[in-house]
Amino acid sequence: MKPTLSELIRPYRSVSIIGMCKNAGKTTVLNKIIREVAGNGQTIALTSIGRDGENKDLVTGTKKPGIYVAEGTLVATASELILHHCDVTREILETTGVSTPMGDVVVLRARSDGSIQLAGPSITSQLSRLGDTFRAFGADLVMIDGALSRKTLCSRSVTEATVLCSGASYHKDIDVVVEDTAHVCRVLTLPELEDTQAAQQFHQLDEAFRGTMLLAENGPWILPAGMSLEDGLRKPEAAGTKIVFFGGAMSDGLMKPLLMSSAPLKGLTFAVRDSSKILLKRENYDKIAVRGIDLRVLESVNLVAVTVNPFSAYGFHFDKDELMERMQTRVDIPVINVEDGAI
Amino acid sequence: MIDLKFEQKENIGFQYVLDILRPNSPYGEEAVRRLNPFTPAEKTELLRQLGNVQRVLEGEERCQNELNRMLRVFMCAKNIRATVLKCGEAALNEIELFEVKRFLLQTEEMKPYFKTVQSVLHLEGVTLEDTSEALEILDPEHNRIATFYISDSYSPRLRAIRKEKKALEDVIRRTQSGSEREEAQTKRVRVAADEEHEEARIRGELSERLRPSLPAMLHNMQTIADLDLTVEKARLARKYGGVMPEITESRVVMEDMLNPQIADLLEERGKTFTPVSIALDRGATVITGANMGGKSVALKTIALNILLAHCGFFPFARRASVPLFDGMYIISEDLESIDRGLSSFGGEIVRFNQVAEKLSEGFAFILLDEFARGTNPDEGAAIVQAVTAWLNTKNAVTVLATHYDNVAQLGAAHYQVIGLKELNVEALRNEIANACGDVGVELIARHMNYGLYRVEERQDCPRDALNICRLLGMREDILAVVEKNYENR
Repeated sequence: MKPTLSELIRPYRSVSIIGMCKNAGKTTVLNKIIREVAGNGQTIALTSIGRDGENKDLVTGTKKPGIYVAEGTLVATASELILHHCDVTREILETTGVSTPMGDVVVLRARSDGSIQLAGPSITSQLSRLGDTFRAFGADLVMIDGALSRKTLCSRSVTEATVLCSGASYHKDIDVVVEDTAHVCRVLTLPELEDTQAAQQFHQLDEAFRGTMLLAENGPWILPAGMSLEDGLRKPEAAGTKIVFFGGAMSDGLMKPLLMSSAPLKGLTFAVRDSSKILLKRENYDKIAVRGIDLRVLESVNLVAVTVNPFSAYGFHFDKDELMERMQTRVDIPVINVEDGAI
Repeated sequence: MIDLKFEQKENIGFQYVLDILRPNSPYGEEAVRRLNPFTPAEKTELLRQLGNVQRVLEGEERCQNELNRMLRVFMCAKNIRATVLKCGEAALNEIELFEVKRFLLQTEEMKPYFKTVQSVLHLEGVTLEDTSEALEILDPEHNRIATFYISDSYSPRLRAIRKEKKALEDVIRRTQSGSEREEAQTKRVRVAADEEHEEARIRGELSERLRPSLPAMLHNMQTIADLDLTVEKARLARKYGGVMPEITESRVVMEDMLNPQIADLLEERGKTFTPVSIALDRGATVITGANMGGKSVALKTIALNILLAHCGFFPFARRASVPLFDGMYIISEDLESIDRGLSSFGGEIVRFNQVAEKLSEGFAFILLDEFARGTNPDEGAAIVQAVTAWLNTKNAVTVLATHYDNVAQLGAAHYQVIGLKELNVEALRNEIANACGDVGVELIARHMNYGLYRVEERQDCPRDALNICRLLGMREDILAVVEKNYENR
């Protein structure tokens, strides 16, 4: 028997939910989890990075399900949304001083079932502090309505598990939906750098470090600005390099020339802080493995499930069994159809 | 009114003093931002504040624990003054009511500590008004927890609406789809709107009932700010050695003054600040001394401590007597003209004219740092002499630093930087000669005495410049000519 989504997330105290695109079914997933978990008598706490929960999608104009919470749910959202766009009976618990364009983030307890709209902090440290506040008010499970563009906030230092939502709204070609989702899954689940000593060294770099650091025989060497890695690897300072750390984004412009070059890349480990730094097209990403490079992250994401929505917000749908099957052959983690009654 | 520009406050080290204050509460922070010098008409209030600083210094050891706990109640709190003011005119929303309730609870929390502290310190004019009635309005069920909820107990109608809403929510929970669920959902939207309306009515009512308590709440914010700032003023007085100033009619007497900004900077470099002592009366007091001789430090320190006293701080000195000035003016080349496109000299003259205009408005303190130094020395000296003579006749205490000759004797008093006066120049020259590397300037700075001494007889500027040339090993043939020129003057 296949595990349900709520069974998959049961071991965790915090979960982020991210979507491949708008209308991928994030809210549906949130609502189902809220229903199931609250049914077990657990207290859920909800927040979001950025705004969500509008009844109508501001971009496509399609009807979106609102977030409907159960009595007892904790919610952190912007004050404007609390005052004008929530119909739960509210108990105000705390003001956080975190500001958003829609007012400061306020924590409330729902004293009835009802609709809410989410907008929350967008900085990792603020999210962590909010997590502490939630727990102080008795939260068992913290759920963050996340965004694919903010992968950093899915890293395990922020949420223990992540669910990726995909579906027909992403593209009208089912192959593109499946392959792109599978690619995102691979990037998100890149393994962590095992060499703890090296990881320690990279962790100690300033967060703002955007350069490239080589761990060579004679110790760490920071690639001089303007020098390509291809040239750098030939320098005597780079002799015996095993691991290369990229402080900035790993972009196509940076990687393509290197991957096309004759540089001796086989056996090297490339490391980035987290998967948000990898901004590569599929073909360039695939070449990394072809060239024998081991790609690693300092902080991995614990992706526990992929949900698929066969219905597109743009008026068409795929065969739900075909989408499920094809997705499951391309990703290693459980795939769940959001439109099924129980997930 | 004393109205110094930010650059001037920064220049004399006043901003530094404000920056090292660490108020606990947002009300204390606000008080620091709004700190203004008192006018002579506000002497009573100034004396009250100074007296309270003294009381904290004398008694805080006997109630340290309660004092700390009292101040910590409002740490990390939000300043809700604007919300309280809004409540006077309009209905508060539930988040604002939450903030008011939290403030009222914090006030209750602070009360017992406040009582103990006051029984020890007896601070004057510091009271906490009773706001328990307001708290009663926002916490009718006596939960005394810092969350806010428009309770069912506020109105039977609200209770009925919520009951109906709950019943509909139960239907929605029970059903997955179908007409029963849809009907319940539609109905629920309407009932939720009713709830919203009833809540709005209650919020309006609560805001109105809070209105009589608003003055007490604003008063208590003022009390918190006052306590916070007074304790911080006492802390600085202890740290840098402040003293209760005597408020005089016109005389300024400062013994062993210190400037925290410069003192801290020197300490970082392993040096110590040389205390400055001075007595000033109506008229112009002239400070002379060679360049690198610390005249500017003396001026800044005098201005800083006079300003501090006007703001209810203890001046950082061993003894302090200060009158209350109607105006305080600083004229310094560094601070003039840049924004007006005048030459620095032109800027000074324009500024001087403005200040001269203001002198009719009351008793003034004026500080001129190397006035007219940007022009040629002959003309500059003539201008400064005339300005000094003129200022002597005004209702103002003036301090001016200059290295022009023939100014000092025109002043009502003359101070000189001790400089190298008490030093064996020959010994220092040997020390410099024997030291490795280019350390001459550093060594001179270390041996320079930046203190002031009062010159009783007529005396011109000290010849420290010549000594400095000698110490730094200026060519002998040039020095010989310099000495000859001195004799010919």
